[in-house]
Amino acid sequence: MAKEERQSADPPTPAVGRRWGMVIDLDRCTGCQACVVACHAENNVPVVGETEAAYGRSMHWIRIERYWEGEYPRNKARFMPILCQQCTEAPCEPVCPVFATYHSEEGLNAQIYNRCIGTRYCGSACPYKVRVFNWFDPEFPEPLAEQLNPDVTVRSRGIIEKCTFCVQRIRRSEEVAHVESRPVADGEIQPACVQTCPSDALVFGDFNDPDSQVSQLARSRRSFRLLDQLGTAPAVIYLKGGETNV
Amino acid sequence: MSDTIVLIGLFHESTQTADAIDQLYQMGIPEEKIVVMTGVPFPEQALGRHKEWIHLPYIVLAGALAGLLFGVFLSVVTPRLYPLTVGGRPVVAGPPAVIIIYVFTMMATIVSTFLGVVWEMGFPSFERKYYHKLTTSGHLSVLLECSPGQESKIIAVIEAHGGHHVHQPERMPI
Amino acid sequence: MSDLQAAHPEEHSPVPAGEEQETAHTQDEFRQRLLLEQTRDWEINQAVLQPMLRTGAGFWILAGVLAAVVAWGLYAWSYQIRWGFGVAGINRPVYWGIYIATFVFWVGISHAGTMISAVLRVFKADWRRPITRGAEAMTAFALMMAGLYPLIHLGRVWKFYWMIPYPNNRGMWPNFQSPLMWDMVAIFTYLIGSGLYLYLAMIPDMAMARDNTKNWRYQLYRLLALGWRGTEIEWHKLHRALSIFSIVIIPVFLSVHSIVSWDFAVTLQPRWHSTIFAPFFVIGAVYSGLAALATILVLVRWGMRLQGFLREEHFNALGKLVMVAGMAWLYMWFAGLIVEWYGNEPVISEMLHEEISGPLAPLFYLLLFCNLTPIVFLVFKKVRTTPVLLLVFTLMVNLGMYIERVLIIPGNLQRNYLPFNWGTYRPTWVEISVVAMTFAGFALLYLLFSRIFPYVPVWEIKEGRLRYTLRRIGRLLVPTAAEIE
Repeated sequence: MAKEERQSADPPTPAVGRRWGMVIDLDRCTGCQACVVACHAENNVPVVGETEAAYGRSMHWIRIERYWEGEYPRNKARFMPILCQQCTEAPCEPVCPVFATYHSEEGLNAQIYNRCIGTRYCGSACPYKVRVFNWFDPEFPEPLAEQLNPDVTVRSRGIIEKCTFCVQRIRRSEEVAHVESRPVADGEIQPACVQTCPSDALVFGDFNDPDSQVSQLARSRRSFRLLDQLGTAPAVIYLKGGETNV
Repeated sequence: MSDTIVLIGLFHESTQTADAIDQLYQMGIPEEKIVVMTGVPFPEQALGRHKEWIHLPYIVLAGALAGLLFGVFLSVVTPRLYPLTVGGRPVVAGPPAVIIIYVFTMMATIVSTFLGVVWEMGFPSFERKYYHKLTTSGHLSVLLECSPGQESKIIAVIEAHGGHHVHQPERMPI
Repeated sequence: MSDLQAAHPEEHSPVPAGEEQETAHTQDEFRQRLLLEQTRDWEINQAVLQPMLRTGAGFWILAGVLAAVVAWGLYAWSYQIRWGFGVAGINRPVYWGIYIATFVFWVGISHAGTMISAVLRVFKADWRRPITRGAEAMTAFALMMAGLYPLIHLGRVWKFYWMIPYPNNRGMWPNFQSPLMWDMVAIFTYLIGSGLYLYLAMIPDMAMARDNTKNWRYQLYRLLALGWRGTEIEWHKLHRALSIFSIVIIPVFLSVHSIVSWDFAVTLQPRWHSTIFAPFFVIGAVYSGLAALATILVLVRWGMRLQGFLREEHFNALGKLVMVAGMAWLYMWFAGLIVEWYGNEPVISEMLHEEISGPLAPLFYLLLFCNLTPIVFLVFKKVRTTPVLLLVFTLMVNLGMYIERVLIIPGNLQRNYLPFNWGTYRPTWVEISVVAMTFAGFALLYLLFSRIFPYVPVWEIKEGRLRYTLRRIGRLLVPTAAEIE
């Protein structure tokens, strides 16, 4: 059924349930793109090649958006990492005719690969354009195939995919915590991008826990949400940067 | 069976046909035993005949209701069977339900109109029937059942009103 | 004396001397127009059956060419299924391209058939009689072509049946909150509706054809006539059913294109999220559909030599309808534009700017030219009643309306709220081949239809004849229509 397979021996959960979210501190982000690479490695995201990427078919689940301002030699780059915002009121969810995407109880915008029939309606509906499509069958030329993550499906052609907040890592941490009969600690679950970021610009946690790092950071004066006016209520919160960033 | 014979006569024109039929009534041929076949629809009662009761409107209403219920089932019941939250909306959403219910009501109305009219006309029926091919070439065919004794009088009446091709038809494949 | 002779006794009343020639000429004109007297019923039957039975080399060559285009398109589609959607020109952010634009175009074309056959039947406009079947056939085939696109544009078309609500062992149902599901059911409803309407109105003509043909045709028509004899009760029931059909299908046709427009309008895509989309699309559909009907009628009239049935007054009336629909389209289009232009939202302004003086400008101005010029020229009766001119202008309308769909769908998707994700769309040979396949498929179906089924609804024309008489009012000889059902 729709609920996860939680039995009576469930790990103890906080009384109000989880609401996963991420805070991205744009003051710390250097635009190094380590998060992009890490995400590819963790989630079996294929590389499409130069021609396809030039035609707008790159498959980054997280991307560094970069805008140039000003004229050389006084030009500046303004950049921010953008990934699936896991919107609480996601415009991509109601439009899928087969329920391949829905909102889980933990606040994740779930994407079910084997249900997707590829209408790409969700891709058109997403205002952040974070959903990517498998235009061809992915290729992992040797020895890249050895690096594939067994926790994550390898998708076939014709399927939409996007950032899942590394839901496989969330599950894994919760299972480990359950086995060890302890609650999951704040900061224990780290999606690949969070884990890799060298400047700790990305922080992941539970917004329903008022003491978690994400909750504290979200209360900062610098916080804002992307395209807030559209009413999508994203679960990704940005902290305004200094001079170089947004 | 051997007591009645079947006759068919062709007319060019509606007034002559109506006059002939009136005279046939006066001769005692009951209305149910007379069938008029035309290639063109004549207005109701132009030929002096009764309007018949049809069930079609009720079939259509029943169909519309069935469609409405099916639409309600799909849009209101199925989301509850396997509830999935999408877009922060309630599991059963109002305006989409209205659309689905409306469309299925229309679909069922249309299908039940078609099936209803086909059923009511007794179609498809491919058994041999009394018919004349010239019907679709602009003639009005009057088909009637009578006793053998009346045959010559009926033929006279028909021919007096301009009818032609009067004969006892064979059942033909239709 | 036949019904028709009885209907106009004025032949026997004296005509003032000097006017005899003119009156005779007018009488002739009216008789020709209303198919009175000169043509017996069996002559009408033969006039309609002969073009069906007579197939020259031209027919076979045309059918062959169309079939070749369809076959090539099927190859292109299977190539796309095998290798993946990447062989098409779609990308991020333009996730929908000319497949969806053509889909909307075909649904739009289908609306004219219902306009003519249902709306005009309800209004008792007799000029619809000879063209009603051609129009309804256009609707049915356009919807068949439209119905292919929800399959063609799927990334995993082999799983399409998950959109069908059936009990399954996953316990899952489709998402009825999705406009694509509304699309599916609405188009299916409309297709069934117009198909059944087309067939039902054809039954008496199937009987006529059954009575006048031999061999395989006789067998086919006998099957399709369902045993129709033309008894009064059969006619009565048929009339009731056709009345119900024509009334019920009108809200259906209004809702179908509204639902298709909501595919776009419910999203947050800039320039799509507009309440005017539903009426705008419906009016655009009527405009392009009526124009397509006029195009088809001119071609069919020429190809099947139906000049006796498809006459000047039909093109005149149809041309007026196209013009009125065009004016209504212009109104809706401007109403949408003025709000966007005045609101001055950044992305929308940029998108408007690109249409007016940017990369999309050539298409935009071509759209305006193709849609507006016919409105102006169709004001003139001479244009409406000259088949070649009507053909040119209605082809322009359809070109313009197709471009409009292309500008709205892939054109608008190229831009969105985050400029880093702006893109460009270029259709590939796969998409063009598949789109061509549906155009050729439509033409092929229509061509075959015109040879297998009587194109002109014979019984409806004969019914129309019964209504008309010629009457003298002062010095004028005018046709009058009787108020029979």
